Amino acid sequence: MERRTFLKITASGLIMAASPLRSAFAQAKKYRFGFSQSTTLEPWRVQFNKDMKREADMHPEVELLISDGQDKTEKQVADVENFIRQGVDVLLISPKESAGLTGVTLKAIEAGIPVVVLDRNVNTDKFTQFIGGDNVLIGRAVGEYAVKVLGGPGQAKGNVVEIWGGFGTQASHDRSNGFHEIADKEKGIKLVNEKIDCDWKQNKAYDLMANLLKAHEEIDLVYGHNDPMAYGAYLAAKDAGREKDIKFLGVDAIPNEGVQWVNKGQLTATFLYATPGAEGVRQALKIVKGEKVPKTITLPTATVDKSNAMQILKENGLG
Amino acid sequence: MGSRVYAEVLSTFLLRTKLYWSLLILLAVGIITSPVSSKGVNIFLSTGNLSDVLRQVSNNGIVAVGMTLVILTGGIDLSVGSIMALGSVLCAMLLTHDERTSATLLSFPVLAAVCAFCTAWGASHLMGLRDHAAGTKLSSAHRALATGLAGLVAALGAWWLAAAQVQSKFGVIGVLIVVPAVGLAFGWFNGLIITKGRLQPFIVTLAMMVGVLGIARVVAGQDAAVHPVYTGTNATEDFDILRSLLYRIVPVPGLFFLAVVVLSATLLRVTTFGRYVYAIGGNEQAARLSGVEVDRVKIAVYAISGFLASLAGVLYTAQYRQGKPDAGVGMELDAIAAVVIGGTSLMGGKGSIAGTFVGVLIFGFLSNILQLNNIDSNTQLVLKGGIILAAVLVQERSLGDLLGLKYLFSWRPDHSIAAHAHHDFSPQQTVTPASATERQLIDHPLHKGGSGQHLQPSNAKHDSN
Repeated sequence: MERRTFLKITASGLIMAASPLRSAFAQAKKYRFGFSQSTTLEPWRVQFNKDMKREADMHPEVELLISDGQDKTEKQVADVENFIRQGVDVLLISPKESAGLTGVTLKAIEAGIPVVVLDRNVNTDKFTQFIGGDNVLIGRAVGEYAVKVLGGPGQAKGNVVEIWGGFGTQASHDRSNGFHEIADKEKGIKLVNEKIDCDWKQNKAYDLMANLLKAHEEIDLVYGHNDPMAYGAYLAAKDAGREKDIKFLGVDAIPNEGVQWVNKGQLTATFLYATPGAEGVRQALKIVKGEKVPKTITLPTATVDKSNAMQILKENGLG
Repeated sequence: MGSRVYAEVLSTFLLRTKLYWSLLILLAVGIITSPVSSKGVNIFLSTGNLSDVLRQVSNNGIVAVGMTLVILTGGIDLSVGSIMALGSVLCAMLLTHDERTSATLLSFPVLAAVCAFCTAWGASHLMGLRDHAAGTKLSSAHRALATGLAGLVAALGAWWLAAAQVQSKFGVIGVLIVVPAVGLAFGWFNGLIITKGRLQPFIVTLAMMVGVLGIARVVAGQDAAVHPVYTGTNATEDFDILRSLLYRIVPVPGLFFLAVVVLSATLLRVTTFGRYVYAIGGNEQAARLSGVEVDRVKIAVYAISGFLASLAGVLYTAQYRQGKPDAGVGMELDAIAAVVIGGTSLMGGKGSIAGTFVGVLIFGFLSNILQLNNIDSNTQLVLKGGIILAAVLVQERSLGDLLGLKYLFSWRPDHSIAAHAHHDFSPQQTVTPASATERQLIDHPLHKGGSGQHLQPSNAKHDSN
């Protein structure tokens, strides 16, 4: 009895919460895009969602539904299944992991929904389109930059710390492989640490770096697989009073984050890993209008250091 | 005793009205708020969606059933998430075959031996239990039977190992035997440390949670968070059975979940073991004094929990096509939440599998409804948290009490089995409010003592709410 009363209250609350959403927007829009984001715990993912919403707002005929997988494969699979049931016009998905999301991607395709895979791929080629950056390319760019600042090709010398994002994500492996392709050619460059999974997190990188600083008297360069980890390492070095001796390289170049840190001289450089958010919405629009789209779109990278950081900040209204 | 048992089961199902009403109301909310597809179909009610929900809750549901048993004895099992993850990684590893798999398989005979030993131990103890209920001592015939069973299991394990070495691949039946056996072993270990080491279940299973996560990561490989099952070249097609749909509607993981629910509900209702579980949760000391072999039952309960967790791991691998060491992070909390929503008391001794089943469904449908309505994910978390809190409040102190409305809503069905334990299930009794005398019985679950008796008062307790 009591619980029934309680649930009635909950139920009416839910209905009230849900109905304006549907009545106000659902009918007016022509196309519904369902976007399944893997997590919103990382700044890059937050920027990703922002880019996506900004682009969708420019097209009044588009209704963009965003779900957050909360870093769980199960949740993301359920999210996508819900989009399939709702019959969205295009499914955009940025998988947490390739293997876990492959099945549900195929399910969407079987249900006749075009699928645009963003950033991380799935283990099938039956999707409509893939948009993402090339992490190997970025890794190489980092490697070349590292060789340059450590003395140039042939003479480069120094102790390097590499901070891994996540062992389970291809991005981390690609960023590492690209880097080693270039850096391993230099005999003078030595990697001082074991592979340790820092899960893309600033605090974990701080702890790792704090330990490494105690164990190694000479560290010349830190390569973090993303900016927050490079920044975490910078903070650890700063707390140890050694930040001036070390160069910090990060990846992602989010304006209000990595680029700011480069501008302040905390990071030496960062390398743009553009979010596929805006491009994803543009391509999805092409798909629903029946235009032909390329199978793969690779987003370009760019080096951000002291020379151009200010300009990028100004372009983003942060300067 | 057959017909009485069925009457009990049936009446419990019918009488747990509060819980079922909440599920029905949630379903109604789902139907009302559901978006309608372009063909005019209510999406929430579509068979596809219902089938999705059943599949989505199956893993959590299976783990929650094991958790219910543990909580009924007054314990807690925090290691289920890690054991599930280990199960999923092991399963993925056994189904595929690469260099790393062969290396890991070399260390596998040790694991197999441990499992065989555990199974033998568990079997002989369960035999002992049943014997005890009959009022006799463990006979040598039973002992021999138990040893024989253990030998059989060991032989089976060895055979599967040989098969793995020769064929390079385990089949679906192989993983369904080996992986849950490993989970059972870890659960057994949990129970052993808790009972013989006299430690808090919270601490022991917490340690196990951390340790097994490490084992799962080692098994998955040095620097891989994921061990994929299907990479194109090494697909194990018969394994697809475990994630397929029957008649295009019923998901196989859901079937496993339903089977686990029915089997464990029967175990709790029909067997002496089930009565002991409630007795221990009601008053462990009293149970011990009246001759219940508390340690045995507790160990068995943790072993079952580990078994079910790793079975969920196999189904996880089937559904997501990967074995993942951190698949179960946070899983124990989801399971506990479902158990609590289902009306099982964290103090032990009170609750039921049917309640957990409904709790799992409530949780699943809630997520489904929120997602179908595209509610922001942060709001979803807030709402879910609120629901759990409310469920516990309602369970511990009825909302009527809280609002001072006790006398406005004084109609309360009497759920107790004690009230209609003598076949004659009359409507008059069902409208009797929980009386003081009944409470007294509840407080003294074993007031009659005597191990050979049916512990009716403790049964009365678990359905009194």
